[in-house]
Amino acid sequence: MPAALTLTEVVVAFGALRAVDGVSLSIPAGERRAIIGPNGAGKTTLFQAITGMVQATSGRVVFEDADITALPPHQRARRGISRTFQITNLFPTLTVRQNLFLALRGLAPGKFNLFGMPKPSADEAARTEAALLAARLVGREDTEVRALSYGEQRQVELAVSIVNQPRMLLLDEPAAGLSPNERAMVAEVIRALPRDITVVLIEHDMDLVLGLVDQVTCLHEGRVLVEAPPSEIRGNPAVQEVYLGRARHAAG
Amino acid sequence: MNRGVLWLLALLAAAVMPLLLSSYHVDLATRILIFAVLAMSIDVLAGFVGRTSLCHGAIFGVATYVVIWVMAKAGLPAVPAFLSGVVAATLVAALFGLLAVRTSGVYFLLLTVALGMVVWGICLRWTGVTGGENGLRGQDMRPALLLARENFYWLVLAVAALAAWAMQRFVNSPFGLSLRGIRDSESRMRALGYNVPLHLFIGFAVSGFFAGVAGALYAFFNEYVSPSSVAMGQSVAGLLMAIVGGIGTLFGSFIGAAAIILLENTVSWYTDRWQAVLGLVFILTMIFAPEGILGTVRRLAAPKGRAR
Amino acid sequence: MTLHRRTLLGSTAALLAAPAYVPALAQTGPIKIGVMAPLTGVLAAGGREMVDGVTMFVEQAGKKMAGRDVELVVEDDGSNPDTSLQKARRLVEQAKVDFMMGNLLANTGLAVAGYVRGTGTPYFIPIIAADELTQRNRIPNVVRVAGYSASQMAHPLGDWAFKKGYKKIATIGQDYTFGHEQCAGFARVFSNAGGQVVRQFWHPLNTSDFSPYLGQLASLGVDAIFAMETGADATRFIQQYSSFGLKQRIPLLGAMNTTDQSVIRTLGAECEGIVSAAHFAEGSDVAATKAFVEEHVKRFNRIPSLYGFAMYSCTMWVAKALEKIGGRAEDRAALLAAVRSTELDNSPLGRPVKLDEFGNPVYDVYIRNTVRRPDGKYWNVPLETYPRVSQFWRYSPEEYMRQSPYSRENQYIRQG
Repeated sequence: MPAALTLTEVVVAFGALRAVDGVSLSIPAGERRAIIGPNGAGKTTLFQAITGMVQATSGRVVFEDADITALPPHQRARRGISRTFQITNLFPTLTVRQNLFLALRGLAPGKFNLFGMPKPSADEAARTEAALLAARLVGREDTEVRALSYGEQRQVELAVSIVNQPRMLLLDEPAAGLSPNERAMVAEVIRALPRDITVVLIEHDMDLVLGLVDQVTCLHEGRVLVEAPPSEIRGNPAVQEVYLGRARHAAG
Repeated sequence: MNRGVLWLLALLAAAVMPLLLSSYHVDLATRILIFAVLAMSIDVLAGFVGRTSLCHGAIFGVATYVVIWVMAKAGLPAVPAFLSGVVAATLVAALFGLLAVRTSGVYFLLLTVALGMVVWGICLRWTGVTGGENGLRGQDMRPALLLARENFYWLVLAVAALAAWAMQRFVNSPFGLSLRGIRDSESRMRALGYNVPLHLFIGFAVSGFFAGVAGALYAFFNEYVSPSSVAMGQSVAGLLMAIVGGIGTLFGSFIGAAAIILLENTVSWYTDRWQAVLGLVFILTMIFAPEGILGTVRRLAAPKGRAR
Repeated sequence: MTLHRRTLLGSTAALLAAPAYVPALAQTGPIKIGVMAPLTGVLAAGGREMVDGVTMFVEQAGKKMAGRDVELVVEDDGSNPDTSLQKARRLVEQAKVDFMMGNLLANTGLAVAGYVRGTGTPYFIPIIAADELTQRNRIPNVVRVAGYSASQMAHPLGDWAFKKGYKKIATIGQDYTFGHEQCAGFARVFSNAGGQVVRQFWHPLNTSDFSPYLGQLASLGVDAIFAMETGADATRFIQQYSSFGLKQRIPLLGAMNTTDQSVIRTLGAECEGIVSAAHFAEGSDVAATKAFVEEHVKRFNRIPSLYGFAMYSCTMWVAKALEKIGGRAEDRAALLAAVRSTELDNSPLGRPVKLDEFGNPVYDVYIRNTVRRPDGKYWNVPLETYPRVSQFWRYSPEEYMRQSPYSRENQYIRQG
């Protein structure tokens, strides 16, 4: 399997703090990967280095054989990298459909249409309907996002991130702050994603993660601590030490 | 289209107005329409991009200066003069846009204040071209057909209606939608693949274009321009009209411009302190109708559960 | 609409007690006069004095002109040309005044003048001194009744300074048209007589610190300094000139506005002994002037400034012209002709004044000195008189107007 994403010795430093401190990893195309680790392990910063929201201080980011280390976010998005945010970051005063439309047109040439009406093409309409269906949002498409429940907003977030049929999807804690029912719904949506999308997922909820992914990378203090299949991760003493032990303790 | 019918009726009423008004009031109505276009151009940025500009008065004034200058000094006919005024204002707006697009919030506001001051300073000091403090006067600028103030009013009404329609189309276009996206979440727009500075730049230039249209009309209306036309006060007046009418309503600017100009005109009959009265009205608007007049009307008229 | 706050209407009683002479019919209602002055902003004090000057005359005249009631419609021009233009429109088109007068700043006057060029409304400008309005760019219905052109008084002062024996002079002035014109008038006559204008300084309006200029002025080795300042700039300049120690070393000459009563009213000994040129000197012992000053002090508790005097005289002038045409203020052509041909002989100047053919008065110009009064206040007292000074000085009007107008670049300084 060729690698979708390869990181080589990526460092992101904010002054003296090295939030990501020499991470190397390789994610094969089509794989579903979870990135876990305690708070402050550098998970979100690593995401930002991949999407280009922050520039890697050193190291290389290669996506599908192209070095994207120096590209700005919108050019990375154009290559098929899509992400969701830890804190919902939708357009609150726009409707679900308008949110999807913006996501579609972000990568399309039609966005400099200064005068026409926002009418999607047949292809765009089909993709919109597919995303609405996948995110289980049918019936809510003309509601302003700020009027939706928090769980529904996470679903919109997912719909937006897949409407462009990305090559790789980065999900930052998609189930954070949701009720168990809402979490199950989100897990369902993720599980039903097409298999050709490479999915990278940051999540605290181990049960949710372990049922969803093929491989788990555990970060600690900006470095890769362990990389293993989910079946092995629970038993790994290093992971238990830095993460599971504490998480279980807290949960218990 | 209920709302469309309503606006069509308003347009019709505005069209027959000069037949009923004294010549002075026709001038007043003309002024209201011109400033409504300025206020709308400000609302395009403030209401739909979340960027409050305090340099649109200067952009407006650049058009006025250029129109009068090219007619009085370079002898251009009215139509090319009008166009060159609009082009000049758009270019100035584009230049400002280049500088301002990387800022937001209070920094954007302050930067636009500074840019406006630069224009004002140039108009004041570049005496050879701008006439300095004395300003520039145009003579017999209007073509014969537009000499009668009613005719000129109808022209301004047509241009204002066209500009309003164009701006309405603009903010609702796919591009306008992306500007609203930037207003809601700039970082998300970047993640989605939008070149945010480029969008802001285009948005700023388009808004400046319409401010320029208003300024060029004003040149033919006033046939005089001085540094006070590009001063802060002009920008503040335009913003005030947009706010009183309702930020983000676009057409509210007509109501805001009418409210403020009529108020100014009435109150100043009775007291020299009319600016204080105006300030008071503004404060009351902010407290009791922060969405502006049209915004409040729409909220009250809207069926429950459907905002805007 | 007619009876609003600012309307000043002759009483019905006065109407019934009309004089024997009743003007021809057709005139119903009062004569409506639009008065514009800056009533808000930094120039509000001067604007208030302008309005006082008008009301003083109108009240003295029993609120009547040529037997008709007088209605004053006062508008605040805000010291802003755009506002002035709006207000002028309103006076002409809504209030339907018969004629207008006033405005203080040149740019406000120029804006209104440009407007009335199109409407034909008579517009009288006792304070607006911009040379051009009665020279190359004159407008038939704009007349400088009881006013003066900027360089008109500076010309004789230049002559006087040379005859006084000053050989080298520097000028300092506000960097705008009014300053450029006055400095040019002074510098032109002084240098053409044989004096040397060593250097000219221009500073922006509202300069708070003059020390950079004063330092340079002190080091030039000049015999005298001509200062063209208005309002708060004049006050600060005179104070700093004195505190800088220049007052004892270099005589100071001023434009008439530099030592106008509105400026020196608030000053003490630092303003003493500044020589200026003007048609009006509040400290003159001419009987008519003394009577006017006394009446003004009685009414407003202050010695009149140029603003009050000029507006008072202008109103008086127009009233006299209206007498000549039987009060037909609506007849613009007749009114303008009457104003132009009127020779005012009972003004506070105590000497007859008339307009030149371009609509600017010809005056006997005083060289004045600021002198302390027994009560500790200061005022301008005549030293000598230049008779019959026109806006063109001793040049022929035709030749004068063929040359380009005075400006910052065109100061007409003769070298060597």
